[in-house]
Amino acid sequence: MAERMSALSEQSPSIWRRLDPAAALGRLSESRYWMYLLLVPSAILILAVVLYPTVYGFQLSFRQMRLNRPDLGTGFVGFKHYIYMWSDKVFWLSLRNTAVWVTFAVVIEFALGLVAALALNRNLPGTKIMGVLILLPFFLPNVVAGHMWALLLDPRLGVVNDILVRLGFLETYKAWFADPSTALGAAILVEAWHGFPFFALLLLAGLKGVPDDLYKAASVDGAGPIRQLRLITLPMLRSVIAAAVILRVIGLVNSPDLLLILTGGGPGQSTQVLSLYAFQKAYKDFNFGYAGALSVVMFVLLMVFAWAYVRVSKVNQD
Amino acid sequence: MITTSRRARLGWNIATYAVLITLTIFCIFPLVWTLLTSLKYEADIVTQTMQYIPKRITFDNYVAIWTQSGFPTLVFNSFVVTATTVVLCLITGTLAAYSFSRFHYPGRGVLMLGYLVIRMFPAVLMIIPLFILMRGVGLLDSRFGLALAYTSFLLPLFVWMLKGFFDAAPKELESAARIDGCTRLGAMVRIVLPLARNGLVATSVFVAIAAWNEFLFALMLTTSQGSRTWPVGLQLMVGEFQLPWGVLAAGGIISIIPVMILFAIVQRTMVHGITAGAVKG
Amino acid sequence: MSTLTLNGVRKSFGAMDVLQSIDLQLEDGEFLVLLGPSGCGKSTLLNIVAGLETPTSGDIFIGDKRVNDVHPKNRNIAMVFQSYALYPTMPVERNIGFGLEMRGVEADTRKRAVDGAARMLQVDHLLDRKPGQLSGGQRQRVAMGRAIVREPELFLFDEPLSNLDAKLRAEMRTEIKRLHNRLGTTVVYVTHDQIEAMTLGTRIAVMKGGVIQQLADPMTTYEKPANMFVAGFIGSPSMNFVNGTLARDGDHVVLQTEGREPTTIRLPRVAANLDGLDGRQVVLGVRPESFSAATGDTADLVGTIDVVEPTGPDTLVVLAVGGQTITARLGPKLTVSTGETLGLTIHPDSISLFDPKSGGRIG
Repeated sequence: MAERMSALSEQSPSIWRRLDPAAALGRLSESRYWMYLLLVPSAILILAVVLYPTVYGFQLSFRQMRLNRPDLGTGFVGFKHYIYMWSDKVFWLSLRNTAVWVTFAVVIEFALGLVAALALNRNLPGTKIMGVLILLPFFLPNVVAGHMWALLLDPRLGVVNDILVRLGFLETYKAWFADPSTALGAAILVEAWHGFPFFALLLLAGLKGVPDDLYKAASVDGAGPIRQLRLITLPMLRSVIAAAVILRVIGLVNSPDLLLILTGGGPGQSTQVLSLYAFQKAYKDFNFGYAGALSVVMFVLLMVFAWAYVRVSKVNQD
Repeated sequence: MITTSRRARLGWNIATYAVLITLTIFCIFPLVWTLLTSLKYEADIVTQTMQYIPKRITFDNYVAIWTQSGFPTLVFNSFVVTATTVVLCLITGTLAAYSFSRFHYPGRGVLMLGYLVIRMFPAVLMIIPLFILMRGVGLLDSRFGLALAYTSFLLPLFVWMLKGFFDAAPKELESAARIDGCTRLGAMVRIVLPLARNGLVATSVFVAIAAWNEFLFALMLTTSQGSRTWPVGLQLMVGEFQLPWGVLAAGGIISIIPVMILFAIVQRTMVHGITAGAVKG
Repeated sequence: MSTLTLNGVRKSFGAMDVLQSIDLQLEDGEFLVLLGPSGCGKSTLLNIVAGLETPTSGDIFIGDKRVNDVHPKNRNIAMVFQSYALYPTMPVERNIGFGLEMRGVEADTRKRAVDGAARMLQVDHLLDRKPGQLSGGQRQRVAMGRAIVREPELFLFDEPLSNLDAKLRAEMRTEIKRLHNRLGTTVVYVTHDQIEAMTLGTRIAVMKGGVIQQLADPMTTYEKPANMFVAGFIGSPSMNFVNGTLARDGDHVVLQTEGREPTTIRLPRVAANLDGLDGRQVVLGVRPESFSAATGDTADLVGTIDVVEPTGPDTLVVLAVGGQTITARLGPKLTVSTGETLGLTIHPDSISLFDPKSGGRIG
């Protein structure tokens, strides 16, 4: 459409050509800097809505800012928040919980995802629809996922309790999220349900890229399925696995959504993780300075992890 | 995997089906149970003996959530925010993806990495200053402000996914179009975009689902019924009114229907788009 | 009048020179083939002519107009691409007519032009189809239709036949030649296939490392290659190269070969330019078909048969001659077998001598 207008205008008097915005844009696109111009709108958005706030956030972590205590002002307080953090028991607890939460969730999701991908990759008749259904949880909202599982695991009318009691695994119904010893585990189960399809998705795509000839050659050489998995499949998937793990770890560390909905960090602080703690400091206590400091620490730890992980997986490649 | 003997192959086939059926049940059972719950009378939910198949069915829960709460407003707000996000992504992200896909220039690699690294910034670190910033410019508690926030952190995904679809269109097409008389902009609008329309749709749907589902930013950046989205509204209703399970389940089902429909329509293209980047990179 | 003139065209990416000062002048109606291995700069040169890439320095003239800063659409050229680059979303008719459409040509005029081009290329029954529904050969024809419908001053072809199978490629080669004879438009044609170059070109520019190695008509390129690269690149099987030293033996000039078992090859009586080269180290180049089987004293060289490959119309014989290998293309139904000794004569006037250091032609 735009182009038709500019084609028309090329035969029209030049004054009309100068006024036609489509033609003007078309001429602009012939400039040497077109490729950079294309980036301008998105770059402005990202600078204004991501980069600037993030830098602001770093700076905030060195300042006093409590929205509910304006009397304290917004002065510069140096490392006060970081020093306080050192003696904050909840911080250390959430750090530990974050490690447990992320490690177990990633390991379980990876294992389930790999099994699902290997099974789907065999392309047996009738499994295509299962492939679609298995992906479904990944696209469901946290809020619904959280409440679905809260319903399933409810201490009074949860169907999981009912099934476990009927099968004899449990004596009585259990309050999974109210018991500090099971709360984090139950939350990890929900997270695994929500997140393993992501691994299945990426690993399946990776498996499709492994040439069939490799398996044929291995078969001829007498390698069984287990050995084929260890010697061919996993090494060929290394870069996909690395990408999937990094992306998932970033997602798990950064987003407190599911725990916020399921437990709110409780009971006590037994499911408190760093991102949730920072969010609650900001959202409930309006202590923006301390929340900022907590998120900076989280960000730095995440960066260190990502750097170390990339290094280790590169080293293995040689 | 190739196995030599027929019996071994049969064994593996049975194992494969067993694994897939188990995983499928694991994945959709919560969904099915929620659907069943939403169709039960409250008395049948809170019973001594668990009712697996409801003995009687009711749509009261749906009527209740739709008429006795602000749910329609919440859903409408979500629609507005989602649509705005998609439009903003389409305008800004398409241009960026096109630049990354079609041109080679100094700084391209660094810029592309930069767009990706943004994904690593913790939402929590961003959300506080964004709150202050949006309050300053009057965008706090507005649907447009929320869409702006969504756009900025969904843009990287949008750009990377769409770049994959653009890459699939041969570059010679633009050369041909330019010789035929198009400007660079004309070649993009007339030739490449129509060709990548499946990719555009799939990428937009992916972003739409993410925006529709988002919870944390919405919780922080909206404060009133005028701009609140359904995930926040639903969550707050649970806290405030001790929402009955049946009604909550009905709300959940209503809100995921758009997701399921969109997912069903573009599932294949979208999955292809999500995986392409990660597998290549 | 010359259609295309290149003066000192250079292209570099950073420190790497893709093209080093190309000079070229193309007369009206010529068919120039740019031939070379991948990475020799031939496609870059074509893109520069088309205006899809800009040269680092140098001038490009189409007709007598300098076109360095002219948009591709205004250069009065048409181009056929290796991948055909048909617009997948448009039917064949619109694909062919798109260039005219963009120039604001009226619908009925356009329709007539498209129909004419389509008939000429025998794709008039496909006008409603989308490119995805066409076979490779049909797409190729449509791509050519899109080029000729505009009646440009200059056709550019970028390896147009490489995506076709062998049979279709031969067919389309003939088609392109017929088209050129009929339209008489100037063509620049990029390929890495030496047979396409030989059959189609009125002149061939053999390129390597961003430099034109030789610019000449096909037969000159074939018979008098300017250097060892050109000699080896054109012709299949390749020209034989034998290292040795020239000497005089009575009436004849001979080559004393290097290698483990030195032997002597008698060179045919040729022009006087061999005189005065006595004692010089050279590389002798002889094409496989320049040999014929000989007996006794008439043989110019004698070797031991290593492999015999009958191809149908003739027989390829690989011989070990003084520790070096020579391939000869001999007549069909040749009754020789591996291990036998075979004498060969070299046709007069069909040898090339190269300098072993520079690879350049001596005589």
